Amino acid sequence: MRVSLARFLAFVLCLGWLSAHPPKGGTSIDNAMDTQLPLKTFRGMKAEAKGCIECHAKKNPGIVADWRMSQHAHAGVSCIDCHGVTKDSPMLTMDGHEGSKVPISVLVSTNTCAKCHEKEVTEFRHSGHVRGAVQIWAKANMRDLMVMVEGRNHPDLKHAPAATGCQQCHGSIIQLNKNHRPTPETWPTYGIGTAFPDGSVGNCASCHSAHKFSLEEARKPAACASCHLGPDHPDIEIYNNSMHGHVFNAEGAKWNFNSAPGTWKVPDFRAPTCATCHMSGNAKSAVTHNVSRRLKWNLFMPLSKLRTGGYETASDDFKYENKITIGNPLAGNPKGPEAARAEMKAGCVDCHNKQHVDNFFVMADKNIMLYNEYYQEAVKMRDELAKKHLLGKDMWSDDFQNTMYHMWHHEGRRMRQGGIMGAPDYSHWHGVFEVQQDIRKLRKIYAKRLKTNQIED
Amino acid sequence: MGFLRTLQEKRFFLFWLFCGGCVLGVALTVFTVQAVEWTGDDKFCGMCHIMTPELDAYHLDKHGGHNRTGVKAECVDCHLPHDNIVHYFVEKTLLGIEDVYGNTMKNPRKFDWEMNRREAKDYVFDSGCLRCHTNLKDATQSNMKAFLPHRDYFAKLTKKHCVECHLDEVGHQNLGIHLRKFLKDDYKPSVRALISTSQK
Repeated sequence: MRVSLARFLAFVLCLGWLSAHPPKGGTSIDNAMDTQLPLKTFRGMKAEAKGCIECHAKKNPGIVADWRMSQHAHAGVSCIDCHGVTKDSPMLTMDGHEGSKVPISVLVSTNTCAKCHEKEVTEFRHSGHVRGAVQIWAKANMRDLMVMVEGRNHPDLKHAPAATGCQQCHGSIIQLNKNHRPTPETWPTYGIGTAFPDGSVGNCASCHSAHKFSLEEARKPAACASCHLGPDHPDIEIYNNSMHGHVFNAEGAKWNFNSAPGTWKVPDFRAPTCATCHMSGNAKSAVTHNVSRRLKWNLFMPLSKLRTGGYETASDDFKYENKITIGNPLAGNPKGPEAARAEMKAGCVDCHNKQHVDNFFVMADKNIMLYNEYYQEAVKMRDELAKKHLLGKDMWSDDFQNTMYHMWHHEGRRMRQGGIMGAPDYSHWHGVFEVQQDIRKLRKIYAKRLKTNQIED
Repeated sequence: MGFLRTLQEKRFFLFWLFCGGCVLGVALTVFTVQAVEWTGDDKFCGMCHIMTPELDAYHLDKHGGHNRTGVKAECVDCHLPHDNIVHYFVEKTLLGIEDVYGNTMKNPRKFDWEMNRREAKDYVFDSGCLRCHTNLKDATQSNMKAFLPHRDYFAKLTKKHCVECHLDEVGHQNLGIHLRKFLKDDYKPSVRALISTSQK
């Protein structure tokens, strides 16, 4: 008894000494790593699932940490539920590994997500987001830009621009090599329209990043901002320039982003984020994952048309017809563009009065129609030049075509999107002001070419 | 009154005719039930050679007896409807005719079996699944993985069939591998697999 008491006292003294004199040599961080205990799961999971979690907690602790913080972990959804496949699956990438016998795929397609989240995936499949990957490979001029122009048709390096650029937002058509591993040209990508070997299209992880799949994250503007930025569609800049963005940036950190799906409404927030207007439920319209559903106009095409195309088709073409198509750029609300606008306005009136909303959209629509006037004038000049063979063969080194491209793809989008989303700087200085400069430049080149009957050098 | 009279005179004959009819009816009924029973399992369906890969894959699957108890779901348990007996018989007849026709008049080796597989919802019936997995509709949050994915199904918020989610994991284990082995050169991989394995 006395011996053990003495031992205990010695132990306590040791502890006191240790805390007063941290061990020298090596930082405390090193020591923390040395003594970190491996994660053990004690839940009603199968041995295989526990195996994945406990092994990956050592090898890729970040993945498991994300999962631990997710709703999936609460619901008992384990690695195998999403990554497990059969041995004959076109998605198979690992025929069991590291002692596990479970065949898996590193790819998780929307088919898998749809097993539990069918409504969300179906809505998503009807939205313009879905055509992201297939459309860029369906269009000859896009393939040319990626592979020939930017990639210089280099035998080894030509796919780098697409893999590091386009596909990171748009998504890729994922290809597996003979060993069933995804090729570096097509994977990894977080692109929104990723087309999977099982025929499904879309990528939930673009907005709900893996492996936490956070609701909160997708409701914040950052989810959209990693793609919707820059000279051609500065949507996050537009948002920040708007009063909505101003309020969010001032106090958004204090808002509640975690309400249950379909219940996220004022006063959880004091100003909308991207998700609020384009997806979330409000007093009158239901929550949707079809981001095209509330859009009246097509604002990314050279000429803005009303969205009369109904649902997006690219996903079905890929899945059932095995076709890579440009999809349906006029996809919107199946009930037509006015119904789309009504659904959008339904969100506005949660905070604004009707006059405010109506007046805003009247002028925003006029801004879009004004842009169309500019573009149609440019088209007229281009067609005339084309008829007289006064357009350069390489559009990227032809002043007229290059200016016209920037006029719609950069300036014109900023003018239209800035106008309809309440960003004065983008609508005006980066938008219409630049557009009118472009049209003057185009007129000048046009007049000169007609006069001299040759393309200037 | 000639009719009643005849009835009276030939009553013994009619009595025996009635009895005979009953016996014959019962015999036929028993025979029909037995025939339905005989023609519903893997032994009968597997008689057509073309069913070999399906059969092999089935025997390696949980539904084919490869489980702890050895209990089997027979072919017709999944591939015929079980909502009512008329529907069952009609489907069985149609399917029988179709199978005989396909095996005799066409060359089943040339079918696109992988494509047919993708259309499983047309020949795997929810009423079959639910006859065994009847407890699923009573799942509660104490079993989240049973409850959450099937909540919308039982609330009729989705029109999806069981096999649309469970396509690859149910009935025939790794059927694609068996199809490839059996059909050899005739095997058409799923279109997706073609895209995914070609280099460009």
